[in-house]
Amino acid sequence: MSDSALAPIDNETIGGLKTDQMFINMGPQHPSTHGVLRIALTIEGEIIKKAIPDIGYLHRGTEKLAEVRGYHHIVVMTDRWDYVSAMPNNLVYCLAVERLMGSKVPPRADALRVIMCELNRVASHLLFFGTYGIDTGAFTPFLYAFREREMVLDLFEMLCGARLTYNYIRLGGVMTDATPEWIARLKEFITYFKPRLDEYDTLLTYNPIFMARTKGVGRISAADAVNWGLSGPNLRGSGVNYDVRKHDPYCGYENYDFSVPLGAEGSCWDRYFCRVSEMRESLKIIEQALAKLPEGPVMATGVAKVPKPAAGEAYAHVEASRGELGIYLVSDGGISPFRMHVRAPSFMNLSMLEEKLIGMKVADVIAVLGSIDIVLGEVDR
Amino acid sequence: MAMILEKLPGLTKGLPGGDLVLTTSDYLIDLGRRQSLWPMTFGLACCAIEMMASYASRLDFDRMGVIPRASPRQADVMIVAGTVCKKMADPILEIYHQMPEPRFVISMGSCANCGGPYYDSYSVVKGVDRIVPVDVYIAGCPPRPEALQYAVIKLQEKIAKMSLKKGLATSQQVKGSRDINA
Amino acid sequence: MTQDELFAKIQSQFPKIEKAAIQIKDYLTVRLASKDDLIPVAKWLKGIGFDYLDMVTATDYLGPVDMKGYIRQANFNPFLPEGATPEIESAPTAGFPYRPAIDHLWSFVSNADKARVMVKLETPRDGASVPSLAAVFKTANWQERENFDLLGINYEGHQNQTKILTPDFLQGHPLRKDYVHVKDRFDE
Repeated sequence: MSDSALAPIDNETIGGLKTDQMFINMGPQHPSTHGVLRIALTIEGEIIKKAIPDIGYLHRGTEKLAEVRGYHHIVVMTDRWDYVSAMPNNLVYCLAVERLMGSKVPPRADALRVIMCELNRVASHLLFFGTYGIDTGAFTPFLYAFREREMVLDLFEMLCGARLTYNYIRLGGVMTDATPEWIARLKEFITYFKPRLDEYDTLLTYNPIFMARTKGVGRISAADAVNWGLSGPNLRGSGVNYDVRKHDPYCGYENYDFSVPLGAEGSCWDRYFCRVSEMRESLKIIEQALAKLPEGPVMATGVAKVPKPAAGEAYAHVEASRGELGIYLVSDGGISPFRMHVRAPSFMNLSMLEEKLIGMKVADVIAVLGSIDIVLGEVDR
Repeated sequence: MAMILEKLPGLTKGLPGGDLVLTTSDYLIDLGRRQSLWPMTFGLACCAIEMMASYASRLDFDRMGVIPRASPRQADVMIVAGTVCKKMADPILEIYHQMPEPRFVISMGSCANCGGPYYDSYSVVKGVDRIVPVDVYIAGCPPRPEALQYAVIKLQEKIAKMSLKKGLATSQQVKGSRDINA
Repeated sequence: MTQDELFAKIQSQFPKIEKAAIQIKDYLTVRLASKDDLIPVAKWLKGIGFDYLDMVTATDYLGPVDMKGYIRQANFNPFLPEGATPEIESAPTAGFPYRPAIDHLWSFVSNADKARVMVKLETPRDGASVPSLAAVFKTANWQERENFDLLGINYEGHQNQTKILTPDFLQGHPLRKDYVHVKDRFDE
């Protein structure tokens, strides 16, 4: 055993050893790629030299299908983009069409839309919490997160009949009113859930192993994050204060008092912490909305069975659980849109992996990929 | 082991009772196979979330012996949950061929059954049964987790009918039909 | 910053830019005179605080979409009553200016000023080609690849203009209105 075997090994001191690069294919079937994503990695030792995300394994062509579906039919398709949190998808499409037609929505429907989107944000971040734990090796938080998520899905099922793809927010309002029993159960859930968030902090947030794996890993500077078009907790984790609910309020968000959590250094832990803090803020918004819930109808009168908006263009965007989700609609006066483009947050968030993964270790790929929280239905549409 | 099992029906023909003696080994083999079905985690789209919910706290799948295995080499059954896109069809075939026999396929959700809401799309395969043979279909968009568990129970009933006399084939492979009561 | 202030600022720097005829509801929409204006305008906007490129997309205005781009089967649902036609076919609307052109759209957001400006440019359909913004805004990288894949727009100067969403064997650009689907081995 010579001294060189004890010295730290890096490319320079390897000396006579010939090193080579290895090509590893991660996915499309992989337990932690959150769907069908393929990343082609070229690694040298443990360091990644090149990373190419390959998407399109879930490309269903919804933008083309939207051109031969009626305006009401497309609401069904919108659920399937970000299937983990489907209410904001419905909402952004309905906002775009309502803007195009210039129609108004009753105030009770607005408040219900806000409650549903925030409740869905809680459910979505719970799923992120569970799966990010699995990605970094902790299997217990998954079961805790799903126990609470099942309660949220029970609430949704009691309201609109579906657990995952709701089709609840429709053109002109919402599908059905929330009964007093439902509101009572929602209040029960909020009182039950608040101490659970502190429990999750003890499980994962301040866990030394978790912090060692995520703090300082995958740092994105604020300027880089803005240049890459990130949005949602990924952008706020780097310290940029951009939240569509404050920047360009919709559905009466300007009347609610909530703060937007920001991260300090843009590492995986900051993005994770933003999401967990957002759950608390969402509960605050739901409580305020319930306190101020106005009476009245939940669906506007005069919504046509076969809507035919006049020729024009509209753009609407919301703060979905994953970032800024936007829809650009062009209408030619027919029964289907002329063009519908989806500005999907996960698509932009994923594109920065091409540059960010270079120079990282292989084990950190999963930590970074999990922290940007993508859903492949949105990436591929 | 498989070679011994293949020879057994021939060997027992001479015994009094004939193939009747094999019914217990049939029962034991099928019991072992059906009560420890290990699916491969193959979630493609929205149905994957309901599949995850059926593995999680409320509707524990482990009580039925079902443990998700990440590698196809260690799996019995492939639950195709979600839309099968044309780009993904070749990887699905490769993974199916990597699974050791006896292998089963459960098609979960409307997209995997027949294309679902994307029936006229240019990039969706209209049903995973165009690529791999399917044993159980689950309707729904997405189907409830209880429906997935019921489908696994139905698959277990189907496996219980496999017998050594017919070469340990499922009734569908023997008859070439889709009649599960065969 | 209101829309009029913003438009006055833009016009003072680039006099040839004018407001688009069809304004995207609630947002300021301007139309570029030619494609060479794109990179100077983008760089100038980035300088005054519009450093977030939100969306890069385009629309094909040839006509109503050709039904041969979809895989439709007769008698798709045998349980429907006689004569029921639930499937929608595309049809032209009278009075809409269909034309062989592609209308591009870029959307710039300023976080500090809470403002958004949509920049449009129309180019002819055949050989549609615009400069690439991938060097100025990294977010344009994948969005331009997607537009190339689905609409066939060529982005000059893009380092890696390859297919990103559709499978390799798919020929043509699906989002074009005259896309005709070529049967592959997964269709009957």
